[in-house]
Amino acid sequence: MPGAKNSRNFSQCDSLLLNDTCGAHTFPYIEVGNKSSVVEHEATTSKIGEDQIFYCNQRGIDTEKAIGMIVNGYAKEVLNKLPMEFAVEAQNCCKLVWKEV
Amino acid sequence: MLSIKNLYVSVEGQEILKGINLEVKAGEVHAIMGPNGSGKSTLANVLAGKEEYEVTAGEITYFDEDLLEKSPEDRAKEGIFLSFQYPVEIPGVPMVNFLKTAVNEHRKHKGEKELTAGEFLKLMREKMDMVDMHPQLTNRSVNEGFSGGEKKKNEIFQMALLEPKLAVLDETDSGLDIDALKTVAHGVNMLKSNVNATIIVTHYQRLLDYIVPDFVHVLYNGKIVKSAGKNLLLSWRKKATTGLKKKTKIKNECYC
Repeated sequence: MPGAKNSRNFSQCDSLLLNDTCGAHTFPYIEVGNKSSVVEHEATTSKIGEDQIFYCNQRGIDTEKAIGMIVNGYAKEVLNKLPMEFAVEAQNCCKLVWKEV
Repeated sequence: MLSIKNLYVSVEGQEILKGINLEVKAGEVHAIMGPNGSGKSTLANVLAGKEEYEVTAGEITYFDEDLLEKSPEDRAKEGIFLSFQYPVEIPGVPMVNFLKTAVNEHRKHKGEKELTAGEFLKLMREKMDMVDMHPQLTNRSVNEGFSGGEKKKNEIFQMALLEPKLAVLDETDSGLDIDALKTVAHGVNMLKSNVNATIIVTHYQRLLDYIVPDFVHVLYNGKIVKSAGKNLLLSWRKKATTGLKKKTKIKNECYC
């Protein structure tokens, strides 16, 4: 925005890989219309560890539940910022989607 | 309770355990000692069912059932608890959620009613005192930012909550200062009963000053080379271990 003088932006893009057959590709694209703006972006990729799943298994938690829990934990910071109705739905999604993983 | 017969285990094609025999009965405490790389942790992980460990021969029966056919989570729910040598961190998952899920999975398996949040918190507080856990630790993510000692205490705390029939403590004493060691030993001793059994894997003598084993086995190069009862432990400790060291020509600084 040309009028947003001294504005600041930070965007973050974190990916969590669920197994070894998937990948993450992030393409940051930023349009800046003001010389005084500070714009940052960052991207990370991490992976659910076999060790984390085994740790859960060893405590009696099956793999499906474990993945749900780990994904939820990973996304929690963002999910917590969503409005209530979204947050609940997103949390349930985490539990559902990973069945075939 | 547990019977291991002629067990051979390989990891990535390399043979680690070469014919282990071990009988554990309810009420017993077994210590497994041996130098680094002798296969102690492998044995602990095989009992818990870690995938990379391939059993190439032999059998393990647990309460007269074939243990090797069961998944890690089923083994856990049927009462096998592994205290990890390196407890794993799970960022973003609060200890309390993790534990509540674990406890309720165990309860479901036993056909018991799941605990509500309130009931669980009460149980948790009760068990927390046992191992002198700082109450704030349960609000943090699983093992994240815990000190080495806190992680080990946390393992024993989980053991107190899950009340296993067979507890396998993999190097639970390493990295503990003397006070933490006493707390951990105290926790283990409190949980001991005549219906459960404990296998302590260690290469230090000092934990066994606090948790007195009924049997001590020395594992070397994938085999149990010596076994002794507790009354033999003292005299044997001096003679046999030095003898063993000479015989096998290992440089061992730890378990004498």
